Amino acid sequence: MTEVAPQTAVPRPTSAVARFRQRNGWVVGLALLLAGLIFLRSTQVANFGGFELRALVAGGLMLAFVAMAQGVVVISGGINLAVGALMVLANCVSALLMEDASFAMSILVAILTVIGTALLSGLMGWIITVSGMPDIVVTLALHFTFVGLALFILGGPGGRANPDFANMIVGGFSNPWPALLWLSAVFCLIWLPFRYSRSGIATYAIGSDRQAAFLTGVIVKRARVKAYLISGVFVGFAGLVTTALLGSGSPQGTVALGALLSSVAAVVLGGVALAGGRGQLLGPVLAAFVLTLIPSILLSMGVNSNIATLLQGLIIIVVVMLGGFLEMKRRKL
Amino acid sequence: MTDAEPLLHAEAVAKSYGAVRALRSADLRVQPGEAHALLGANGAGKSTFVKILTGVIDKDAGRITMDGEPVALRSPAEGYERGIASVFQDPAMIPDLTVKANLRLTGTDPAAVTAELEQLGIHGLDLGERVSDVPLPFLRMLDLARALAHKPRLLILDEITAALPSDLSAKVTEVMARQTAAGGSVLFISHRLEEVIEHCDMCTVFRDGGDVASFAPKDGREERIVHSMLGEVASGQAEEGRRSRAGRPDVGEPYLVVRGVSAGEVLNDVNFSVAPGEVVGITALEGQGQEALFDVLAGARRPRTGDIQVDGEALIARHPAAAISRGISLVPADRTMAILPKRSIRENIALPATARFWRWGPISGRKETRAVNGAVARLSIDTRAASQARRLSGGNQQKLTIGRWLAEGFRTLLLFDPTRGIDIGTKRQIYDLIRELAEEGAAVVMYTSELREIELVCDRALVLYHGRIVAELPPDAGEEALLRAAHGFVDAEAGA
Repeated sequence: MTEVAPQTAVPRPTSAVARFRQRNGWVVGLALLLAGLIFLRSTQVANFGGFELRALVAGGLMLAFVAMAQGVVVISGGINLAVGALMVLANCVSALLMEDASFAMSILVAILTVIGTALLSGLMGWIITVSGMPDIVVTLALHFTFVGLALFILGGPGGRANPDFANMIVGGFSNPWPALLWLSAVFCLIWLPFRYSRSGIATYAIGSDRQAAFLTGVIVKRARVKAYLISGVFVGFAGLVTTALLGSGSPQGTVALGALLSSVAAVVLGGVALAGGRGQLLGPVLAAFVLTLIPSILLSMGVNSNIATLLQGLIIIVVVMLGGFLEMKRRKL
Repeated sequence: MTDAEPLLHAEAVAKSYGAVRALRSADLRVQPGEAHALLGANGAGKSTFVKILTGVIDKDAGRITMDGEPVALRSPAEGYERGIASVFQDPAMIPDLTVKANLRLTGTDPAAVTAELEQLGIHGLDLGERVSDVPLPFLRMLDLARALAHKPRLLILDEITAALPSDLSAKVTEVMARQTAAGGSVLFISHRLEEVIEHCDMCTVFRDGGDVASFAPKDGREERIVHSMLGEVASGQAEEGRRSRAGRPDVGEPYLVVRGVSAGEVLNDVNFSVAPGEVVGITALEGQGQEALFDVLAGARRPRTGDIQVDGEALIARHPAAAISRGISLVPADRTMAILPKRSIRENIALPATARFWRWGPISGRKETRAVNGAVARLSIDTRAASQARRLSGGNQQKLTIGRWLAEGFRTLLLFDPTRGIDIGTKRQIYDLIRELAEEGAAVVMYTSELREIELVCDRALVLYHGRIVAELPPDAGEEALLRAAHGFVDAEAGA
């Protein structure tokens, strides 16, 4: 068996352009879509300016945070059905504690709220890894627990946000900057450092291939709990935004469910693979604003609000299918 | 032995998976500066041993020491600190991350990896590339470079050459030489005996979950290696009776014809044909392309080149259903893959044949019952025991997966290691069943990792090596000839 040894060619590296398209193409496309929608909106409204922008940014901020919270867990190969409920719980607890509190006290409450949701979410991840039950079962059960807990604590709509605190988070009447600033701060100061740390890489690793992750020395259980912990931080911010926007606490299961479903939609639309391991959180964030814009645009176009919901669903399907089609075409080339 | 203190010393290492004793008691001594091969037939326990050694799984009993100090790695990553670096059978690289990010996970310096790659003669491999975009052979080289970057004293190479073209394999053996010259050791696991003989100083042979021999694998000693791997051929097997009909004068027109089929990473230009009433055995070591071959035959994968003809007509399979409708049936090794564990025996048997009972309406219960009862009676499955298929024993489950093709005449039967993990009594029933199906005119292709089955069931044997059929042997050629061929040693007279 003496064959002439052929020289196996070292593969040519993919070009920088192809690499950029592969890694950031979806996000860039989504950003263009968002820009287009904002432009469309600006043609619909006379005097498009701060007021409109503030409505968009502050209105989409809650969903953006919840989408990030969902995104981290999905990237790690799980799914978190308790994001909405935990957000409602954070909203109720913070509103209750901020009632009659000074601005400084409110800040303290906000910090404690974020720490609390992070710990609760981490606990949820710990239960999942210890029990060996699928993410979907544990988080679904805790969804009901958290909603129940919120109702138990607040009984009904109640509590009150400190007005200065609310202004600081979502800005005044036509001031979009605070909301944008908070979103950028959380994204750049919490998510990005995490994403490029060893823990962040491990999060992607366990979502991509758990066996290989184990072989490369990732402690899979710990990495899963960390993903839930970070997810809890984002949920905490979402709860605070809700408190600031509503000015009170609202222990409603429908709010939790709505946030949950929108978070999954934003994650899918944001180009994060539900199978885990692929995608960036910037995608779900942009998708959150796209999802916030579409109803108001449709409404301004005079579309019946029931039809608008239907159209929103169709738009998600069409966009995701288009993405899948482009991806397939790329692989064939 | 007179040797000095071994670098690695494993004593009486044991491991059971439930009731299965994968490793009874294994010993291994690897000296410093030694390239040591670990050999054994399929199921001898060597992969279990390597997993324990590298910290993938825990051992039940035994002692492993390095330089006299006990080592018990809790995860593969801990090995680096102890001077153990492993290249696993499957690439330990996260497909969705870049190579660089993967290196960060293991705490490896990318510059050191690049340096190792340069020394291997691989230039210009971009570490910024996503792993899923790097071809498999180069992933293996990256795995190797990463292991070397940690400057291990013990380098464990588990089947690294299996996925490599010959020029890259040669680079691996260069690495082994460099490592041992520098005083380090290599534990080399390979199915390719010629590599072992050429590049290893010592070898330890595993059989039935324990080590049976340790010696220097010099040229011309392959006989001894093969003997150790097989063990004493037990007498008293004759009573089982040979079921094959070697040397039958004529077998008639070929029914299933495979021409020039290449598929997957390995399978390359395979040609053979099977006549009705014939049982053709295929044997090979792991990873020689047998999975790809059966995937192609069963319609689960399209061949890259070549074609398959069934009864004179080309089979263009887009889906297993297409192959099934042409009368091709597959019995996989993993029974759980092919049965519906929670459904009844009746449904399990009827399912693949449903197409025949089903015409735009409800399934004809009467026809179904008749077919199912016939099959159950022929299989002698104990139906009292269970209405759900999962409650059946492994052997009975396998009879179920074969038997459902009996329900209505399927003319081509593909069996992939059909008796893996089945007790001897049921095995015989399955052998009889296969012969019976052949008598009735089925063309049977059976892959087996148990060499004895070639003699027991088959009419002739094809041996796959590196994705090619390297030998066609009569069923009574003997296990030794088969094993030699499976390792790529083909005698002139045995070559097809």
